[in-house]
Formats: sequence, structure tokens, C-alpha cells
Amino acid sequence: MVYAVETRNLVKNYNGFTALDGISFNIEQGDIVGYVGPNGAGKTTTIKILTTLLKPTSGHVYINGADVTKRSREIFYDIGALIEVPGIYDYLTPAEMLSYFGKIYRMPINEIEKQTKETLGLLKLSDWEHKKIGTFSTGMQRRLAIAKAIFHRPKILILDEPVLGLDPEGIRDVRELIKKFNSEGVTIFLSSHLLGEVAAVCKKVIFIDKGRITDYDSIDNISTKNISKAIDVKFLKPLSKEELIELEKIELIKSINANNESVLIGFDGKQGTSSQILKRIVSLGYEIASFNVESIELEDYYLSIMSEEKGGRIDDINS
Amino acid sequence: MISIAKSTGGFMSELYNTYLSVAFELQKHLKRRRLLIVAAIAVLIPLFFYISPPDNSSQFASTSLGFINILIAVAAAMFAGDAVSGEFENKIALVSFPTPQSRLSIFVGKYVASLLATFMTIVLFYLTMLAQISQLYSIDALPVELWQSLGIALIYATSAVSIVFFLSSVLKRSTSATILGFVSLMMILPVISMVLSRASVEPWFIVTYSAGLISNVVGEGAIIMEPGRGIMGPGRETVSSFEPALGTGIIIMLAYTVLGFISSMIFVNRKSVD
Repeated sequence: MVYAVETRNLVKNYNGFTALDGISFNIEQGDIVGYVGPNGAGKTTTIKILTTLLKPTSGHVYINGADVTKRSREIFYDIGALIEVPGIYDYLTPAEMLSYFGKIYRMPINEIEKQTKETLGLLKLSDWEHKKIGTFSTGMQRRLAIAKAIFHRPKILILDEPVLGLDPEGIRDVRELIKKFNSEGVTIFLSSHLLGEVAAVCKKVIFIDKGRITDYDSIDNISTKNISKAIDVKFLKPLSKEELIELEKIELIKSINANNESVLIGFDGKQGTSSQILKRIVSLGYEIASFNVESIELEDYYLSIMSEEKGGRIDDINS
Repeated sequence: MISIAKSTGGFMSELYNTYLSVAFELQKHLKRRRLLIVAAIAVLIPLFFYISPPDNSSQFASTSLGFINILIAVAAAMFAGDAVSGEFENKIALVSFPTPQSRLSIFVGKYVASLLATFMTIVLFYLTMLAQISQLYSIDALPVELWQSLGIALIYATSAVSIVFFLSSVLKRSTSATILGFVSLMMILPVISMVLSRASVEPWFIVTYSAGLISNVVGEGAIIMEPGRGIMGPGRETVSSFEPALGTGIIIMLAYTVLGFISSMIFVNRKSVD
């Protein structure tokens, strides 16, 4: 199987500091994968290696099966990349800049003109086609950088913090644009420290911390496998100490933590068990106002694996 | 779907990419008005001598040509100073590098564009001077050696651009490369040359000494400046009886060109985008 992006044991050292420590992952054609980690985790270093801006200390990167470490330039016909906050030619207009890159991608002149209008339209920059880039706001420059990345309609889009500096409307537009391209079969690899952004756009997520991948799975799977092991039960009236002891005697309940009317019940996390617990509590004659199995957001999971790296435990957030 | 005629690489593709880079760089020089500024200097310098013209056309040419080194230094610094360092310092490389274009074709293109822009201003300088000579003296008074002088000026320009381009490839900041490039051509190398001359050592290996040929080849010979007086600059620091030999001078200029170009390309290829 030829993956859109494949990394094999990538290592990058900078003067004794290990930025990447054996990164390996595959991205299938048409996938949309988020790359999440805190600042300094190694996200941009990975992206710079994928786009040949940096050479890895060791390891390999394959784009559509071609080894990029051999710096084969043809692979870039298939790649569109937005990396960090790039400098853009202040004294040129978007039309002039895109025209140059269109020629580099060997697009015919009429195609360049058509694509310029279409792409700037997608990024809501049509009115600025012939204005100097130096007069653009930060958000507009960001949108123009995205326009450059998608200009030649690549098969793989590598986006590093794509919504950085954008206003809410810009964030929504870019999010929709990414989904649109993905629905057309474009493989998307999106790095971000904004978990909400990744959750809103991506189907899969790779977690990276301190140069190592800590998890790689679909967002659905992560939600399933990290289902909460706690039920938040609210009673109509506060329970007495005796009543709490009675509840604790239910064998399916592992722990009880009471706070006024609210009781946090620990259990094995299985769906069947939670319904059994509900039945047993009701059968004992308690009046329940609400019964919620606590949900774990992607963000909680992310924080849990990062805290685990720092000596914490995933279970911490479940108890 | 859009139509893209994917290139499979190879020499012709690289050549075309270099051409695109040259055209793009010249467009940038125009847009940034750098070409306009240097062109204005190229026209203004010879016009100064219009106020009090010398007795004959050769003297006029020789005096005017004494200042072409300033123009070449300014042009080289302005066109090549930020060619490499600016790409990294301003993070433009993050946009320009992840494309089918190789680094080599980008930077060879930048180098050639810097050369062409410098050549344009030199030619403009000579054309202005020729027009003045024709007007002040007569068209027949044009020294035939001027063509030789133009040729040497163009060769010296390649070495000046190579020096600045090299500095741009090793220094991080484009301002440092631009200033150091200008100061090297206008002060550092001429001072070394002057010191050597005072020590009765011919500075034949200093490119700014060889640049004296630009005015020397025009009939009247080099303008000999008294030590400590006059304008500092390449070709003007001949305080001793030394005069650059034509063959050696051209070889030295070409050597600076080739070495500067090759070494800058090596640095450019090794430079990482941190």
C-alpha cells in the first residue's frame, strides 16, 4: 500500500537536543489527520522535514511512496504546504505572487489567471488581488499563505497551524475549506495546538510530545476507548452517611464521592454496568434528578497523556 | 481539475526554473524601486562633471569613470545584499522552498538577476557619459577605449556581486550583508590595497586594485591620488607607482567571481530553515 505520507523512525538532533525521537506514522490517501502537541513538541520540525526544509538526523519520509530525503522535487507537484508564519513579498500583489508560483508549477497562463481568481475568491481575498501585500492585515496574509498552498490544487495539504491569527469568521472559512478539499479526496495533515480545531476538522489525530508520538488513532476510537469510568448522579435530596454506605454496598460500584445532592460513582466504565447501577439505585427507592456518565473530551484526553508524560496518570481525570 | 504539465526534472527544467527566478527577481527589484534608485545614481554621477568639464574627452571619461566603482558597489550591495540572507531572515524560504523548484535554481536566478540589474545600471552610466561627451566635445571625440573600459567594468561588477552574494549567504541579517558588502568594496579592500602599496607590495590579488583598470584603459591613465587625500575607493588608492596589469587584473576579477559564486552556492545549499 502506498501511503500519502509515511515517516520511518525520524530522528532530529540540534546540538545535543533531540527534537524528534523516532517518529513513525502513516497517513492513508484521502485521510485528514491532526498533529497535536504542546509548543516545542516537534510538530513544526516534523513538517519541515516532510517538506525538505530540514534534513533528518536519521530516518525516512515518503510522500506518495517517494523518499523526500533524496530531495526529489517532483513530489512537490502533489504537495501544498503552509509552514509557520511565512514571510510574503510585501511589495508584490497576490496576483503577481501567485502568477510566479503558477509558472513554477507549470500551469498554463490562462489557468493561472483562472486559478488566481478562484483561489482568492475561496479565501475571500478577491478585492485584494491587485493590492500590495504589505498593506494586508496579519489575518489576510495568513489567508494568502493558504491560497499559495492550495493554488496548484495539490493532492496532499500540509498545514502548520492554519488558523493562527485568523478572526472567528476566517477560522470558520478555513475550516470549511479544509473539509471541502478533503471531501474532494485531498489528504490533509494538519498540525495545531488548538485541540478544538483538530476535533472539528480531523478524523484522526496523532499526539506528539517531547519528540515522541504518544498516540495515533481516530477521534471516534479515542472517545470510545477512553470512555469515562465515573457517573455523576444528582439526587432530589442530599444523601445521609448511612444512605451512602448502602449505595457503596452495590457490588457494581467501585467508589463513591459525595458532594451535597451530587454523588460521583466510580464503576468499570462499561455501558451495561451504568444501566445496572441506575436500576439498582432506583430499586432501593432513591429519587434521582439526573444520571450522567461523564464524557471525556479530546482535550481532557490530550491533557491526560501530556500529564502522564509528566508523571501523572490517565486515570486521574476519571476519578 | 487543473492542468499541470509536471516536469520530470532534468537540466532543461532547472534552466527554465532559473529563468523564472531571474524574471521574478528583476520584477521584485523594479517593484521595490531599487532599480530606479540605482539607475538614478547612474545618471546623476556623470552629470556632476557637466558643471566644470575637463579640456578633452579622454580626461572627462577618465574622471567620470573614477566614480563608477561607487556605482558598482552600491548596485552590488543593493541587488545582492539581501538575496540569500533576506530569504531566510524574512522566512520567505517557507513559501519558496517547498515547491518543485530547487534551491540551486532559485539562488542562481537571484545571482543572475543581481548581475543583470548591476549591468543595466553600468550600461546606463556609460550611455549617459557617452551622451555628455558627444554633446560637450563631439561624437568623434569618443575615446575608443571606452568599450574596453565598459567590458572591464562589467567583469568587475560580476566579482563585486559575487563578493556581496557570498556575504549574503554566510551572514544571517540582510542589513549586515548589504552594509558589509558596500564597506568591503569601498573601504576594506581599498585600504588593504593602499597599505600593501605603501609597503611596496603590489596588491595584484585585491580585486578593487584590479578595478583601477576601468579608468586606466581610457587614454589618460589612472588618476594618481596623493596618500591621505582624495576619495577612497577602488582604483583610486594607487598611491605607489603600481598599476594593475590588464591580463592579471581580469583573471583576478574572474577568480573572485567564480570563487564567490561557488562558495555562496555551497553555503546556500547547506543552510537550514530553522
